Amino acid sequence: MSLEILLVVAAALFGIGVYGALSQQSFVMIMMGLEMMLNGAILAGVSLWYFSAAGSPKGQLLAIVAMAVMAVEAAIGFALVINIYRVRKADITEKVKALRG
Amino acid sequence: MTDVAAGVLALGVALFLGVYLVSVLDRFVSDLVAGHGLTANVFWAGPRRAVLLLLQQPSRTERPDAEAWAFAPALLGALGALGLATIPLAPELPLADNADGIVLFGAAMALVMVAVFLHGWSANSVFPLIGAYRFVALALSYEMPLALVLISAALPAESLSVGEIIRSQTDVWNVIRQPLGLPIYMVTVAGLAFWGPLRLPDAADLSGGTRAEVSGPALAAWEVGRSMVLVAAAAMGAAAFLGGWLGPWLPGVVWMGLKTLVLLVLIVWSGHHLARVRTERFVVVAWVVLIPLALIDVFLSGWLALAAR
Amino acid sequence: MTIGTDHAPLFADVLFWMLAVGSVLAGWRVFRADSMVRAAYWLLASFAGTAGILLLLHARFLGLILLLMMAGEMTIMAAFMVMFMMNPAGLNPMNMVHQHRTAIIAGVGAFLGLAAVGVFGEFPARPLLDASQVTADLGVELLGDSMMVFETAGVALLATMIGSIALAAHRGRFGPADEGSEPPALVPEAETVRPGDSRDEEQS
Repeated sequence: MSLEILLVVAAALFGIGVYGALSQQSFVMIMMGLEMMLNGAILAGVSLWYFSAAGSPKGQLLAIVAMAVMAVEAAIGFALVINIYRVRKADITEKVKALRG
Repeated sequence: MTDVAAGVLALGVALFLGVYLVSVLDRFVSDLVAGHGLTANVFWAGPRRAVLLLLQQPSRTERPDAEAWAFAPALLGALGALGLATIPLAPELPLADNADGIVLFGAAMALVMVAVFLHGWSANSVFPLIGAYRFVALALSYEMPLALVLISAALPAESLSVGEIIRSQTDVWNVIRQPLGLPIYMVTVAGLAFWGPLRLPDAADLSGGTRAEVSGPALAAWEVGRSMVLVAAAAMGAAAFLGGWLGPWLPGVVWMGLKTLVLLVLIVWSGHHLARVRTERFVVVAWVVLIPLALIDVFLSGWLALAAR
Repeated sequence: MTIGTDHAPLFADVLFWMLAVGSVLAGWRVFRADSMVRAAYWLLASFAGTAGILLLLHARFLGLILLLMMAGEMTIMAAFMVMFMMNPAGLNPMNMVHQHRTAIIAGVGAFLGLAAVGVFGEFPARPLLDASQVTADLGVELLGDSMMVFETAGVALLATMIGSIALAAHRGRFGPADEGSEPPALVPEAETVRPGDSRDEEQS
């Protein structure tokens, strides 16, 4: 286990997330792609904290902020999904072509 | 390595005794309620049922999610064992005293939601699915009060280690110092192990809910897993609020066992005496009453802990 | 580089490789599963792998909190998928993707770029030496020097709660949220029906 390998693993998780967020049609699956990217980001942040921050807790703080972002993303995302389904009966991106309500 | 082996052995014995005790208690209380005379039946009714289930033919549904269906009981049991492993049963028992024990316990108990949802979902049948949805609503409601009262218990100890939390209660137990803590915790335990008035996901009114389509060894594993979660949660209640192994004259393990037993009796008793609560009513009570009370508990405990420094 | 002092390095290495490979494989399965519940729980498995690696890196609190958070979030996700998606149980094979080629290229490109940064980048070698106080340090940092960051995250979460309830609540200040909304056209290629349009046609 070294910093390089950890960062490569984090990059793989992030890459899968990019693929998922771009390729999926369902709103919820797109959110899963976003979460996957944050998963990689958290792993990279904590690896750098462990190997090159000399134990400063600020590196862990970054991971906490990333988790808060994840919670915000999920909550707002689900609220938007409910709202757009209620108004347009749409559950995939292809059904929402106009931004006007 | 011998320390770890001794710890694992102690954990196994504690789990086995705990699950057996739950079956005895359950039968005992139900016999009392039914007005039967008390017979030796209470001691072997549980094992007999286990053997019966192990010999029974497993049932199948049309196109279940077979892997997830088999995985759910194993996950539930593993989470119960993990939860109990965070609790030092006696000062000299080595396995447990993890520096972040109470967070590990919280994480294990949060994953119970996954086990129950998978169990209900994967049968590919209506009643189990309704049971699974009930449990999601139940779990999202009890999670917050559970986490908050456990945090309050950790405040006087200034540590997340369960051992430290027990040691911080040498002068006065948390149940006296934080009167709101134990009652709220016991309500969440009933939800966590879906026992008593909160037995919603596999309730009889859903003709069995998540276990409606399960029979044979899988059902035995599920019920044992559920008892393991109950034992772990009761042991954590004894450790966090009743001073764990602390007590005069008797050895620590015995005190721990007795306190756990008291909490187990409370929960099992409630299963035969209190009516089942409707899901939506519990959700409202949890968010409107339990969470504010738990927050008050956190503030009061923090204030007291600061004043005591 | 060996980690910590309380793990045997070989044991930790084997565990790390299992967790890393498991995490990436589970992440890949998320977008290949037919059943929506399985997709959600594969993502949880991927997060569990990451949480295990965080525990190996002595970020114990972060790893456990990640697991705790994701258990709830992924169950909610699974419930949402079942509500909103056709074929949630995966009884039929399903492939709901668009711009597939672009997405693959972007994903591989992101992986290669970031991996190159990881492999060829210069990072200072200042490893964590004493792991005994990691959680306590984090707590002091959160309520000490970085309190502003922590409070900002807290206020952002509060704003999120208010915002998401405002968005999702059925009864808003201006009446029911779905007033005037209509189901979309049944033909796949038709334009999205704007609220109010089709109702007039039906009445006339």
